[in-house]
Amino acid sequence: MNTPIIRIENITKTFGQLTALDRVSADIMQGEFFSLLGPSGCGKTTLLRAIAGFSEPDEGQIWIDDLPMKGVEANRRPTNMVFQSYAIFPHMTVAGNVGFGLRRKRIDKAEQDRMVGEALEMVSLAGFEDRDAKNLSGGQKQRVALARALILRPKVLLLDEPLSALDKKLREQMQSELRNLQRAVGITFVLVTHDQEEALTMSDRIAVMFEGRIVQVSAPSDIYTAPATRQVAEFLGNMNFLPAVVGARTATGVTVDIKGLGKVEFPPEQARSHAPGARVSAGIRPELLTILFDEGWPHQRAAGTIADRAYYGDMTYYDVRLEGAGTMVTISMRNTANRPILPVGAQAHVGWGAGSVVLL
Amino acid sequence: MRTGSHGLILYVALYLVFLYAPVLLLPIFAFNDSSIVAFPLQGFTLRWFDLLLETEALHSAARNSIIVAVLTAIISTALGLCAARAAIRYRFAGKRTIMGMIMIPLVLPEIIVGVSLLVVILQSGLELSLWTIILGHVLICTPFCTVILSTAFANLDLSLEEASFDLGETRWSTFRLISLPLVIPGIISSVLIAFTISLDEFIIAFFLAGTEVTLPVYIWSQLRFPARLPSVMALGTLLLLVSLILLVTAEYVRRRGARRSGSEGMGGLF
Repeated sequence: MNTPIIRIENITKTFGQLTALDRVSADIMQGEFFSLLGPSGCGKTTLLRAIAGFSEPDEGQIWIDDLPMKGVEANRRPTNMVFQSYAIFPHMTVAGNVGFGLRRKRIDKAEQDRMVGEALEMVSLAGFEDRDAKNLSGGQKQRVALARALILRPKVLLLDEPLSALDKKLREQMQSELRNLQRAVGITFVLVTHDQEEALTMSDRIAVMFEGRIVQVSAPSDIYTAPATRQVAEFLGNMNFLPAVVGARTATGVTVDIKGLGKVEFPPEQARSHAPGARVSAGIRPELLTILFDEGWPHQRAAGTIADRAYYGDMTYYDVRLEGAGTMVTISMRNTANRPILPVGAQAHVGWGAGSVVLL
Repeated sequence: MRTGSHGLILYVALYLVFLYAPVLLLPIFAFNDSSIVAFPLQGFTLRWFDLLLETEALHSAARNSIIVAVLTAIISTALGLCAARAAIRYRFAGKRTIMGMIMIPLVLPEIIVGVSLLVVILQSGLELSLWTIILGHVLICTPFCTVILSTAFANLDLSLEEASFDLGETRWSTFRLISLPLVIPGIISSVLIAFTISLDEFIIAFFLAGTEVTLPVYIWSQLRFPARLPSVMALGTLLLLVSLILLVTAEYVRRRGARRSGSEGMGGLF
């Protein structure tokens, strides 16, 4: 887990005027589930294709298993890929597809058949050998594509938005199956996705990319709770942003005056990069704010009025205008039996816990 | 509503009669035991077909036609293959204009093509031969081939080739194992259609033929002799049969290929 299987060193790739990758560096560890997350056009697919060997970076070097990959073509790299369109060979059977990569290995026919059967079993398609590949459903094609890539026991499996063509229910099922499969085979998975939920649920670590650069690499919970930039915070879920001014340092930390929430104390390490007097953005997730229904709240609070409300069945989203400052925050509340749904115009007290606000 | 649909049925019936009745007359008179092409029919005979077997000039015309058609089919399919692959796989400046220029012979009057090619060939001091006919036929067949092959390439997902390469195959074995099997129906279809077009093309063959003529030109030359008309009918019947078989085969192969690559009912000429 602690040795890098892929080392990406300062790679740059341009297409005409467009810089698809701008001096990108990252280490991907042996056996981890690593996701490249970002909006379309951020360079994540270009980076994946550079790892696969389909496009050569203009500058920089990619190392896989301590070997430099410059000039090594895709068919000689220890990586295999699951394509977005699955790329199932339509003129072959399922077994023909899954066993395709074994053609070049010197393995006798019986052993090949056994390996194909094993690979199909791994993706829950046992007995599908003689089916026509083109007649499979989307989810089944996906599994065939996985089996076809994994049968070669690559050092790294690359997945290019593998779940984007599936419907919501099947996608959620495949997310957990992919995760379990990765744990079972122990092969490093590198997944490209624009779906933050997919990245959060499946990955050991996520690299968030914008405009050809990796902005943050961290565990899902770190990316979500401590986003490095406002862009990252906005891309992963919702976040309220309030203008704030950094106050003087004290022995216990730094006090920041947040418009609407009042003075909030931060531990010194969190506000280290901000000088006293600096204007910053204070970010807080809607689910980390709460509307107070009784007096026993040990943490900080602020008063406000409900300006708007959206009911989602299990959740209610409130827009609350904060008293004094006039700033607005969105609060998500889980609906429970003993908790009333507040009407628009009602007075409400907003509470939040220590450490739930981040400075950006 | 009812009268409207009756009118429509009548229109369709008349349309089909007008379109196919003359063609059906061809085999009818080919088997008619009379040198005068007229009703009433005089009885069944095969002697017009026998006559075909005995006519030496006809045999050399048929041989010429087949040479021209085979070479035209191969050359225009090869050119169409390049054009189609370029059109589908690559982006380049002026692509639309260039593809449009390739397609123009489809709508250009053949007589214009024939006359202008004749002028060019004579001015450049070339001899008229079977090769000049092939040149003209390639010009008019290439657009058809390009259309058919573009469909075949458009249905071929680029990531299939990448997947094969990624799984360890070379570029050449990828072409052999993946690309070729998926576009071969298109290639066969293209060859057969170009062959058919060339086989019964008259105007260009008439202008560009030297001393050696093709079958349609030979047929035209025989029309001056009324006595030969029934045997021309017999020859026409054979040509019709060959063309029909080739066209049906071409379309069958293309559709089966489209089914194999899982893209039924897309593109093609029919």
